Amino acid sequence: MKTVSLFVPCIVDLFLPDIGEAMARLLKRLGLSLVYHDAQTCCGQPAFHGGRNPEAVKLAKRFIEIFENDETIVCPSGSCVVMVKKHYPELLADDPAWLKRAQAVAERIFELSEFIVDIMGIADVGASFSGKVAYHESCQLSRELGVVEQPKTLIRAVNGTELVPLNGAAVCCGFGGHFSVTYADISEALVKEKAVHYIASKADLLVISEPGCFLNINGYLSRNHPEHKAMHIAEFLAGKQN
Amino acid sequence: MEIKTRQFKAVARQELNNPNSRIFLDLLPVVLSSLRQLAMASFPDPEAAQRLGGIIRAEALSRLPELLEQFEKNALKAGAKVFWAGDAHAANAYILELARNNQVDFVTKGKSMVTEEMGINEVLEKNGIEVYETDLGEFIAQLLKRPPFHIVGPAANVPPPEIRDIFIEKGIMENPTVDPRELGYAARLYLRDRFSRMKMGITGINFAVAETGTIINVENEGNIRFNKSSPKIQVSVMTLEKVIPNLKDAMHMLRLVSRNCTGQHIGAYASMDTGPRKKDEMDGPDELHIIILDNGRTRLYQNVKTRQALQCIRCGGCLNICPVFGIIGGFPYGWVYSGPMGQLLTPLLLGLSGCHDHIWACTGCGACKANCPAGIDHPRVLHYLREMEVQGEKSLDAVPPPFTEDMAYKAFSVIASNPTLWKLTSKIIRTVLNRNAQDGKLSKGPGPLETWLAGRDFPQMGDKTFHERWKEIENNPPKAVLEN
Repeated sequence: MKTVSLFVPCIVDLFLPDIGEAMARLLKRLGLSLVYHDAQTCCGQPAFHGGRNPEAVKLAKRFIEIFENDETIVCPSGSCVVMVKKHYPELLADDPAWLKRAQAVAERIFELSEFIVDIMGIADVGASFSGKVAYHESCQLSRELGVVEQPKTLIRAVNGTELVPLNGAAVCCGFGGHFSVTYADISEALVKEKAVHYIASKADLLVISEPGCFLNINGYLSRNHPEHKAMHIAEFLAGKQN
Repeated sequence: MEIKTRQFKAVARQELNNPNSRIFLDLLPVVLSSLRQLAMASFPDPEAAQRLGGIIRAEALSRLPELLEQFEKNALKAGAKVFWAGDAHAANAYILELARNNQVDFVTKGKSMVTEEMGINEVLEKNGIEVYETDLGEFIAQLLKRPPFHIVGPAANVPPPEIRDIFIEKGIMENPTVDPRELGYAARLYLRDRFSRMKMGITGINFAVAETGTIINVENEGNIRFNKSSPKIQVSVMTLEKVIPNLKDAMHMLRLVSRNCTGQHIGAYASMDTGPRKKDEMDGPDELHIIILDNGRTRLYQNVKTRQALQCIRCGGCLNICPVFGIIGGFPYGWVYSGPMGQLLTPLLLGLSGCHDHIWACTGCGACKANCPAGIDHPRVLHYLREMEVQGEKSLDAVPPPFTEDMAYKAFSVIASNPTLWKLTSKIIRTVLNRNAQDGKLSKGPGPLETWLAGRDFPQMGDKTFHERWKEIENNPPKAVLEN
């Protein structure tokens, strides 16, 4: 049985543990054995985007030490994978020994849907949901990792689900980490547009691959349109549906 | 032009509620993005064509000093005069002296961002020389005394009734109308009269071809062509990064600039001029003055981390696709350049201290980079600028953030480096946050979370973090479907 190491982003660990749990159950169901390094905390993404390179480097080295012996690392967040896969090697570019270690980890880390579709070669994970689903294309996942079709493939294969088009699916929801609080009014105007498109799509559920986008879009819907639901793809595929 | 970069947040708030700006901004993703895609699809391989654009610009920049010298040599050979201006002041002084020496009492201008950057209009007007913007949008913005709303569509957010009112007020037309054709025609008649008497025309330059000394302009109204072909004296201003090695490369960039700007295969008018009118030619100026302006760009060029900002060809494609620009429009950026390209150029040219919001008002979505036909990685340069601001880098005129912010990040990295501390802190956060929780959501939050909670919910912290749940999850057998 193949073993997979879980990388649970800090935002999931603290505020959205259901997403982490859903990922774990889903991967177990797919026949994988799981490892979770209790020492893991945060990959350093907030520090990196805050222009705090020394702090980000410190957390990057720590992450590498914790995960470098794992054959495969899976994470339910595209932006955290981008941090490890792309920004770690940039941050450690001037240190050949560390760069080598960063590159080795970078090759072995995958976003959840990318892992299931591209590595395991599975489309149907055995979940079911009766209704129409719209999918929000998270920026880092789609633009930086090029993962656009994999989540859609998984959604389409869910028993009873119809994937419907979403206008502006690839337009940013306005999260952007600290952007969402330092420019809250602009961020809110953007997430409002996302909600308008979702409601117009007539879908019964909006599926989202990124915990940050989920926090933002779900937070807006819950306040303003509580009858319209959003869900992280891990939960959707694990079978935790309405 | 007055610099209002520090008012970013306040102006953004106003613009969020400006219905006239909204009309135009709401069209951006639907109309301009689709037109751009359609136009790019006319390349056999759109992605390859876009990549080639980035390569041409990067390669040209890598040879910038050599190409500029070659351009100067060939422009001189063709009979042009070339003036190297270190800064806006030098360029303006040159133009003013030229106007005075030739008893020029008014000048006409083709639309150009660089002359906005120089503030030439204010300088000439202060010295008694009238200035007429001849691009319809610039003409309207000039009459209304407004900064450009968009680098390509400077008055795109001005509704026809407002144009009618200002045209009547300034005596440009007599009969009140909001018919766009009649408004355009009134401006045309008015400006034609100026063109027919013009002595001096001022334009920008899209591309300066090193191999031939040719200057290229692309436009849709024909006014730039007028400014280049009709006056006795033509002054064309370029910033030093506009040079391109040869006509073949220039043609590719011309295809890209039009497609990414307005979704056209090519603008309605593309003019290429090599030197002033020759003896056997009918049209063209007697004198052609080319000003090559630095205005801080050499400094920007010398830093390899910021150099790529100079690859920009001013198509405005990044404005059209930026989610933040799509909400707030061009005014909050407070100077000539707006959107992602402005978020790089403005702090780099003016210094970081007055441009804090330019560096931070970005969600990092990367749409600009993905669409840029000049190969600029905007998020990467912005990240560098953030890093420099945090470090208070003096050469970039950066003012470091408050000490408390430093402490917060340092504390975060200490906590995140120690699993025991991490778990302890998560317990403290739970206690603090959940004090204000109702129905699983926070009703009040500390500090920055308050702005989020104004319009969005935030979940309260659950009884257990993932760390605390893991043992349970690990020991449970997998279930076919998770039960709620």
